[in-house]
Amino acid sequence: MSTEDRSTTEGHHTTDDRSTTEGRSTLRKLAVGGILLAVVALIVTVGLLLREHAPGNMGVGFLQGAAVGLLALLLMVWRLSKRPDRATTFERAWSQTGDERDDAILTRALAVLGLAAFPLTSVAAVAVALGVEPSMVFALLLFAEIVVGGVAFVVINRRN
Amino acid sequence: MRNDLRELRQAAGLSQRKLAEALDVSRQTINSIETGRYDPSLPLAIAIARHFHRTVEEIFHVD
Repeated sequence: MSTEDRSTTEGHHTTDDRSTTEGRSTLRKLAVGGILLAVVALIVTVGLLLREHAPGNMGVGFLQGAAVGLLALLLMVWRLSKRPDRATTFERAWSQTGDERDDAILTRALAVLGLAAFPLTSVAAVAVALGVEPSMVFALLLFAEIVVGGVAFVVINRRN
Repeated sequence: MRNDLRELRQAAGLSQRKLAEALDVSRQTINSIETGRYDPSLPLAIAIARHFHRTVEEIFHVD
């Protein structure tokens, strides 16, 4: 291996490398900002539609839940930008800023969730067929999937 | 798979954090590789080997 090759592998990047990396970083930030704005617009639209047409206070609940979720997301982004060395595997993986191990853990956790989704949905379908309130079944199904995904992520993270 | 990463890192006087920064991975990844809980991908194994001027086979061993 030449001296030049070694310097590259040891982290001494050239000016071209840095400008390319900075360009990608700016593009990534713009893309994330655009996606975030689109998500907020979609949430507000769905929330207003639910408040107008859905039963009870479902629309308000949806908007409150979405606000909490967005706050958690912003907190995660803030932590990643200010203290990336203290970020958790979950934060790195979900923000797509992690390394190969973070990606592998997220992929495995999502695979477990995908496998569990089939029997969970089957149980939910049977419950609806037996006459259980569908809105309650859907809420429990969503909750169960969140729990399965979360537990799978924590267990796989500890094992790896 | 076993590896000699911890010994190599300590011999080089590097902390897990410093090595992680040099390889552009998290400290947890270095720790997981050292404890054998995570087997790195081939590109990362090659990057580790190059960092210590060794071959992959000199660092990583199949039981």
